[in-house]
Amino acid sequence: MTITSHDDVPTTVLDGAVKDYSRDKVYVLTAIFLAVLTIIEVFTYTAPDFPLWAEELLIPVLMILMAVKLFTILYIFMHLKFDKPILTRIFYSGLILAMFVYIVMLATFRFWF
Amino acid sequence: MAETLTSRPTLADADAHQAHAHIEADTNTGISNTKLGMWLFLASECLLFGGLITTYLLYRRPLEGPTPDEIFDIPFTSTSSFVLLMSSLTMVLAVSAIERGEHQRMRVWLGATAVLGATFMAGQIYEFTVFVREGLGFTTSRFSSAFYTLTGFHGIHVTVGIIMLVSLVLLSLRGKIPEHKAETVEIVGLYWHFVDVVWVVIFAVVYLIPT
Repeated sequence: MTITSHDDVPTTVLDGAVKDYSRDKVYVLTAIFLAVLTIIEVFTYTAPDFPLWAEELLIPVLMILMAVKLFTILYIFMHLKFDKPILTRIFYSGLILAMFVYIVMLATFRFWF
Repeated sequence: MAETLTSRPTLADADAHQAHAHIEADTNTGISNTKLGMWLFLASECLLFGGLITTYLLYRRPLEGPTPDEIFDIPFTSTSSFVLLMSSLTMVLAVSAIERGEHQRMRVWLGATAVLGATFMAGQIYEFTVFVREGLGFTTSRFSSAFYTLTGFHGIHVTVGIIMLVSLVLLSLRGKIPEHKAETVEIVGLYWHFVDVVWVVIFAVVYLIPT
């Protein structure tokens, strides 16, 4: 069900109207998940010899952890998962354009060589 | 009066039928212009921070002065990162509270978000002070210029976010944020979460990847 913004919703009706609301629980669980990922990130620094991220595996592991955290915040906390798809497209257009431009820039400066 | 109150669709009605209800704006897209504008702004911010992060990556090996591996205090920065991450939780709980019509709770969560943001900024100022004391000034090396510019720009964004959060609390105390204007809190929340997203990238790319 949707309501339009020009409907004046009476405050008295809404105050405390939805008590049994489970969304907060999802947010808290998401925050715990993000905290665990951050702890794993810190472990890559404190225990650099751990086989999962030893030597050349370190950067891919950090990039994956970073991407999972980034998209979790975007989709759950910023509501992209639940909002209209056009917002996802708008944000991705900026993100992909930025990634393309700066990967080209890094390649131009021979960052990987 | 009773008929008017019960016949109108409310956020509470919408929430009762779907997990995540949003107010349908009277526009072609069904999204309010302010929300659309904020998402466009955030998309453009990807280019700003992308440029700053790329510049840092190109200049992170200093020709003179301290190196990143010598100067970064990862346990301290990890704590700051955790604080900023938790501020995203308090922010989203503030949005959730105003959608339920719980003004007092919203103000508490907004205040908590502002305090956590201020704690992060205090940490960043302390970190900068230590770095300068150890000989890493803004013009010491190309690494230091790129580092201070990137983290400084992020810090400015956090500061602007704190100002917006405090403004929201003050507006709410004056009764200027009723439930049907909950989107104002959501839009500030989008900005705040984006600042957190940028720090997630900075923390991994700048601090954790060794040079």
